Amino acid sequence: MVRGSILTKKNTMTASAALFRTDTVSTRLASRGDLTSFLMELTAEIGADSYMLVAIGHGEVKNDARIVASNWIFDAIELVGRRLIASLAQGPLTTVPGSRPSALVTGEAPCAREFPSGEEAALLDVLGHAEIYSLALNVGRQCFFILMSASQAGQIDQSMLMKAQLKCCYALCQVPQLLADTTTQDPLSDRERECLFWVSEGKTTDEVAVILGVSSNTVNSYITHAIQKFSASNRAMAIATAIRSGII
Amino acid sequence: MISPAARQNAEVSVNDQRNPFGSSTAGTEARQAVSIADAVRRCRWIAIDLNATSFGLFMVGPSPDRLVPCFDSAYPDFSLTKSISARDSEEIIRHVRLSTQPRWWLDDSNAAMLEKFGSLSWAASMQPLIDGSAGLAFPVHAERGRCGLVVFAGGEMSVEQDMLYDIHARCFSLFSSVSRIRPGDVGLTRAISRRELECLKLTANGYTSEEIARLLKLSVHTANQYLTQSAQKLNAVSRMQAVAKALRLGLIE
Repeated sequence: MVRGSILTKKNTMTASAALFRTDTVSTRLASRGDLTSFLMELTAEIGADSYMLVAIGHGEVKNDARIVASNWIFDAIELVGRRLIASLAQGPLTTVPGSRPSALVTGEAPCAREFPSGEEAALLDVLGHAEIYSLALNVGRQCFFILMSASQAGQIDQSMLMKAQLKCCYALCQVPQLLADTTTQDPLSDRERECLFWVSEGKTTDEVAVILGVSSNTVNSYITHAIQKFSASNRAMAIATAIRSGII
Repeated sequence: MISPAARQNAEVSVNDQRNPFGSSTAGTEARQAVSIADAVRRCRWIAIDLNATSFGLFMVGPSPDRLVPCFDSAYPDFSLTKSISARDSEEIIRHVRLSTQPRWWLDDSNAAMLEKFGSLSWAASMQPLIDGSAGLAFPVHAERGRCGLVVFAGGEMSVEQDMLYDIHARCFSLFSSVSRIRPGDVGLTRAISRRELECLKLTANGYTSEEIARLLKLSVHTANQYLTQSAQKLNAVSRMQAVAKALRLGLIE
């Protein structure tokens, strides 16, 4: 029912209001299609050709890229591979909001740098990604990355990037259900998170029990649950997993 | 008098830091850290551009669930933040955890401000943080899941859509500098040996002392001793805290 009403709203908006809208990028996102058209408009706005929205997992396979949305051609994704995509998104290229963006120019003497290797850079260049920016996108505690690339170096308008980055953060905040994935979600209850936090601050079970005003058996059971949810083998591993995924 | 453009350039160069997710060690981070007084000055510049009369920066801790004041416009006093942290701020904390969109509030019948705030896209209204005022709150995030909130208040703030992105970007870089300030932790971390770090890393990955000893071809006592030593060097009281501290400092991944 909710879905239906959103669709109707969207349809009426495309029919009437969209024609007269002055703002080039729409600010209401509800569906997968809205996200795609938002990202395409944003890509055009900064003068880029391709986008790829990526989440980096902290699960079983470390640094595995999960592609949320992209207009790269299928073959390019397969050829480049998720490992390289992950290290492009979350590597020395990454621009966090508020810092100065720096581009990877794939056609430019790549032998001098260690990453990416000459071959990888040449491959990206051939596939039409001559210039690549990686922008970190904070959606609450979660972090996503968007790779913006163009077929010509210097084609992307650097001055627009910072604005586009924040705009993209805001837009993603509206569609958390489209980004959701078990590896990036916070599986813990408030109490379990609190217990883990205090243990990570060096408190013993008895001390945590006093802090939270419950019995130490309860604290132990909260921690056991947290360990099970992370499928960790002990407390230290559960704490490490929670910190790595930004839960505590 | 410094021109706004020159001021922003200076700000950008201060903020220009390497990617926090990369392999930067605690040592290089420490060099880029600013003092709280610097952060207050930078926040004041942002407040001037917004024509806000007061500002404040809060940390959103993982627990307990409340806004922890970091500094405000009355620095070194805490007049603004005192009134906020005493209030029920559950709604905004929940928002900061899940979203990055700015929020505004209006607690008086100021038609001009209402029009300005109402015309902002992506931003929505919230419960007033300070009674009888108008203001903007920007959620900010830094590496390793640190959350914060930068708040600006004033009766005659000037804000437009284009400015909003710029202001928020500056709040982000301000917070990332502030979250790097770690008094007392930095000097000690350098002394940790490679072997001790290896043991810590394996502990973080769920291995027991016996397993670590087997993997690194050490005796169990040596493995335990490495772990005890690293805990001492990190000023931690337990193995769990040592792992947590090493992860938060970026000593292990």
